[in-house]
Amino acid sequence: MELSEVKVVDVHKPQITNKHRFIGFALIALTVFILSNSVDEWRAFQGATVAVYVVAIASIILLTGYSGQISLGHGALLAVGAYSAAIAQINFQLPILLCFVVAVITTSLFGALLGAAAARLSGPYLAGTTLALAVGLPSIANQFSFLGGEQGISFDVGWPPLSFGEDFTQYKWFFWIATLAALISMWWVQNILRSRYGRTWRAVKTNEVAAELAGINIGRSKVLAFTVSSGIAGLAGALLAMTTNNVSPSVFPLALSFSLATGAVLSGVNTLGGVIIGSVALVAIPEIASLVADRWSGSESVATLLPDLIVSALLILTVFLAPKGPIEKLRSRHVK
Amino acid sequence: MFQFINTLLIGITAGSIYALMAIAIVLVWRSTRVINFAQGGLALASSFVGASILEKTGSFWIALPIAMLAGALFSAFIEFFFLRPLLKRSGDKGEEIFLPIIATLGLLGIIKAVLNFIYGDRVGVIAPPLSDKGFIVSGESIALSPMRLLILGTVFLLMVVLTLIFQRTNLGLSLRASSFAPEISRLAGVRVDVIRTVGWAISGAAGATAGILQTTNGSGSITPESFEFSLLLVFGFVAAVIGGIESLVGAVLGGLTLGIILAIILMYVGGSLVFFAAFLILILVLLLRPHGIIGSKGGRRA
Repeated sequence: MELSEVKVVDVHKPQITNKHRFIGFALIALTVFILSNSVDEWRAFQGATVAVYVVAIASIILLTGYSGQISLGHGALLAVGAYSAAIAQINFQLPILLCFVVAVITTSLFGALLGAAAARLSGPYLAGTTLALAVGLPSIANQFSFLGGEQGISFDVGWPPLSFGEDFTQYKWFFWIATLAALISMWWVQNILRSRYGRTWRAVKTNEVAAELAGINIGRSKVLAFTVSSGIAGLAGALLAMTTNNVSPSVFPLALSFSLATGAVLSGVNTLGGVIIGSVALVAIPEIASLVADRWSGSESVATLLPDLIVSALLILTVFLAPKGPIEKLRSRHVK
Repeated sequence: MFQFINTLLIGITAGSIYALMAIAIVLVWRSTRVINFAQGGLALASSFVGASILEKTGSFWIALPIAMLAGALFSAFIEFFFLRPLLKRSGDKGEEIFLPIIATLGLLGIIKAVLNFIYGDRVGVIAPPLSDKGFIVSGESIALSPMRLLILGTVFLLMVVLTLIFQRTNLGLSLRASSFAPEISRLAGVRVDVIRTVGWAISGAAGATAGILQTTNGSGSITPESFEFSLLLVFGFVAAVIGGIESLVGAVLGGLTLGIILAIILMYVGGSLVFFAAFLILILVLLLRPHGIIGSKGGRRA
């Protein structure tokens, strides 16, 4: 039954080669380039935020959709990345590109430690544990002075190079950096999911016993997935710190972790390609909601609650109507 | 020494509230194998009901039972309209284990939005009904007040009532049977679905009590964005896991253990490490004793 289903999908799915993907990525880059030249500061900032969410949600999709481990605490991993990037800049005066590299490496190491514990936990336990991490980790900043306490520490990527022209704005620069980072990490994630490791993760997720019989070391496979996912989340954290210029516990509230999990579900946790849907939704819904509230009610309280209400309602609707995500839903309808 | 005893007393009081939350989590887990991440939101909503009643009537003793009733109704409502259809649909596919988790997160968001809509910027106030000035022992005030005694008493009373229900009544037998072996219970004539809803309702009442007591023990006021209730959920979860997540007695022991450890850390190490300490305790317990401190070796794997 299941096997035939898979076959049908494969026949209908056109083979996507590296060339196609490269053209797709080039098109996205071109679109962003044109967009960034024609939009105002606020839209550029939103664009950068979307790109940050793409990176963060991709890391959750890799972990949950492909390796079967759930995380409600990715905000904490973003915090690790952001703090390590900022410390690399302030305390070690590293160049900005290296700061991002440091963020990825530090968060990967942290993720490897966490993953070693996580690999032994099943669904609900892991969800609760990562939730406890998201609640607990950011407040550590108040304990150690080099983390800057409640005010936080700054993370400044600097002004765009002068050669880009006088009117090249700060947010446009953020937009470019974040998009470039998003494209690179998406490319890399796609590759790793198509590699031996990606296949191993999916095998473990689908059937642990069968995977073990096939000679896969389950623990190692899960820890590796957690490590890779954390590294990408660390990059997202450094990018987020870039857009806020500041790293403090208030940048990484519990709500951030929940938003990212929501974004992943709206994207469809099993399809990496859907990541743009969730990211745009997270940025667009508050904006649309406030427009709606302004037009039809004008009441302050409606404007503040509407985004949360819409996002939560979408979340529940997705769980009930399209548990595998909007893209899978459309695809299965198409095949039938 | 004096300070240490006070720390212990503070820990025991806080811990008994975590224990109530842990009981709420354990009851839901035993009846449907789901961790209800909206449990904190439910407690918050019930506490708001309690605060409104308190405002109208001025009596804590009317407000508490009504808040418990509201918590039970909210919780049963969620089980009946959301979790039951969801679990029926994805029941066989173990792969989609994260769906109930996500659904309860969505419910948490909706509860918060609705509370924001109704209460907005208003603050719910639940003033302690008894004095929270500490008793005087040999000239010094200790961290045990009539209010703290009330909290301990309420938790103890609820524990006794729950234990009696579970051990001595038909309802308790059905609750235990349908969590232990749903199929067999169904064959034996237990209406498992109804029993599950009852389990959720009791859990909602326990959560509501935890919410109200936490508010009186803490700042005395609540807002729809209250961070305290996210903490309550996390601490309740940690306490439930310490106790092996299956047992009510375990939940209480877990709550008290967690409360005392956190109070000691708060007093002697540093206030901002408390949340992270809870995470570390959770990890340690899951790695070293996944079946909890009182669980049997043959229990479920973590």
